[in-house]
Amino acid sequence: MQDRQRTPWLRPVVALAVTAAFFLPLYLVLANVFKPGEDISGHPASLPWPPTLDNLSQALSRPDRLFWNGLINSVTITLLSIVLLTVLSAMLGHYLCRSRSRTARITMLVLLAGLMIPPQVILVPVTDILQLTGMMATLQGIVAFNVGYYVPFGVFVFSGFIRTIPLELEESASLDGAGRWRVFWQIVFPLLRPATASVLIFLGVWIWNDFLNPLIILGPAGGTTVTVGVYRAIGEHQQNYGQVFGLMFLAALPVLIFYIALQKHFVKGLTGGAVKG
Amino acid sequence: MSLVKERAGIRTDAPPRTPPGTRRGALPRLWHFLGFGAPGLLVYACFVLAPIALSVGYSFTNANQFVPRTRFVGLDNYTRLLTDQEFLTALKVTTILTLIVVIVPNVLGLAVAVLLDRRGWFYNALRGVFFVPVVLSSVVVSVVWQAMLTDDGLVNTALRAMGVHSPPGWLSDPDIALYSVGFIISWQMLGFCAVVYLAGLQSVPQELHEAAAIDGAGPWLRFRKVTWPMLAPALTINTVMLLITGFKAYDHIQVLTGGGPGTGTTATLAFSVIQTGFTANRTGEASAMALLMLVIVAVVSSVALRFLQRREVDF
Repeated sequence: MQDRQRTPWLRPVVALAVTAAFFLPLYLVLANVFKPGEDISGHPASLPWPPTLDNLSQALSRPDRLFWNGLINSVTITLLSIVLLTVLSAMLGHYLCRSRSRTARITMLVLLAGLMIPPQVILVPVTDILQLTGMMATLQGIVAFNVGYYVPFGVFVFSGFIRTIPLELEESASLDGAGRWRVFWQIVFPLLRPATASVLIFLGVWIWNDFLNPLIILGPAGGTTVTVGVYRAIGEHQQNYGQVFGLMFLAALPVLIFYIALQKHFVKGLTGGAVKG
Repeated sequence: MSLVKERAGIRTDAPPRTPPGTRRGALPRLWHFLGFGAPGLLVYACFVLAPIALSVGYSFTNANQFVPRTRFVGLDNYTRLLTDQEFLTALKVTTILTLIVVIVPNVLGLAVAVLLDRRGWFYNALRGVFFVPVVLSSVVVSVVWQAMLTDDGLVNTALRAMGVHSPPGWLSDPDIALYSVGFIISWQMLGFCAVVYLAGLQSVPQELHEAAAIDGAGPWLRFRKVTWPMLAPALTINTVMLLITGFKAYDHIQVLTGGGPGTGTTATLAFSVIQTGFTANRTGEASAMALLMLVIVAVVSSVALRFLQRREVDF
């Protein structure tokens, strides 16, 4: 499908116009982050010139430290969850892929069925289990839930890769006298790097962005994450859009930087299954 | 994407061979299980399988924070739900929302993919823009659109400036709010679909297009007969992903409408389960609702998957 020679400018112009229309809502918020409060309602669409950092500093210096507390919690929860998830799901994926028993195969199916269970289906009893183990409204609680809930995704990504690693490699290492543990961590795991990258990237973004799970499991008592913090801030004062936008910008910034830096990995991880063959 | 590969993976499983270091004996095998398999499975069992089992148990009781004695009520919760107006409305709302969320990003995402299917930094950058909402949290996306769509939000301000006297209440009119929510979720997912379709488009060999062009096929015919069949795997991934997104949509509704305006005009099943379970504390009823939802999600997505994958094979 070559462009018609008569109108070579048509496609880029249409593409740019469509993208601009699509991006408009984000532009409006982004521009208003750097505008003084009265301009947000007065001239919402104007360029933020001269830019002001008032909204950001307001969001950062809230007396309840909503952003800073949220940031500490979000970073802790996300890092702990993705490290644990990577280790546990790589090992579990390897175990299930290399076991030839019927039980392992059935276990794999039960695990992968977890990919389509919406969190709402299990959250009510999950809070009971967390209450029982004393982990309700704690960071351990949400991390433990994240690990259990997202382990199917990790296993799914890792087992896809593990199947491509020749068994001979592991066999020869084990003939050379390496134990199972060493074979896995020194031979197999380094080869899984692309899968590890996918798991870390996707789960990192999902867990950072999670709203319902931390809202319910941390509750009002257990503190807040940056994502839940944005929600709490709109509940309080619907009017002060400047500060809410500032807070939102700060909450989304880490993910955006991460995305811009690793754009290729995002797309590769996502589209791995989209192409036949 | 997950389910697709999972099935492919299971079909192409390597023939059974002895894994390295396997000594015949129960003890080494037990250690292997305890070291590698057990930790992950244990957490999964505690936070996914056990909760489902508990839900089944709760769903046969009248468990309720405000009723001191919990007792067995058999299928009462289920039979009541099936005639409960609120539940039937939730079912209808979920169906409409899921249909919007499956159709709109699929169609527009394909259009965007075809538009941006060119090489070079310019098109790369535009693709990058479409993907931004996918990595943003749904709370952020919802607040962005709330600023646009509230009664005196940016859209209505613009409409008034253009001379529209009473612009619609995008989020406050019971007849419109659900469609607005569906549109917002679609906007967020559009980039996901576009990127998946683009990967599919780039896998179509150029020779096929040239051969078809030589045979006299115009652009539309080439798209219909050459490109579209090659996009079947992309359609499968997008549709299954969007189905699950539509079913479990919660964040947008909580932020944008809180289930209203009016009674339950945007309250989906996922939303009602949380309302009933946590706000109203009717655990038994919420569990029955959650299990019905699980069955619906499982049946609809596996039927869709089966159907779409069969389509992939015959071209």
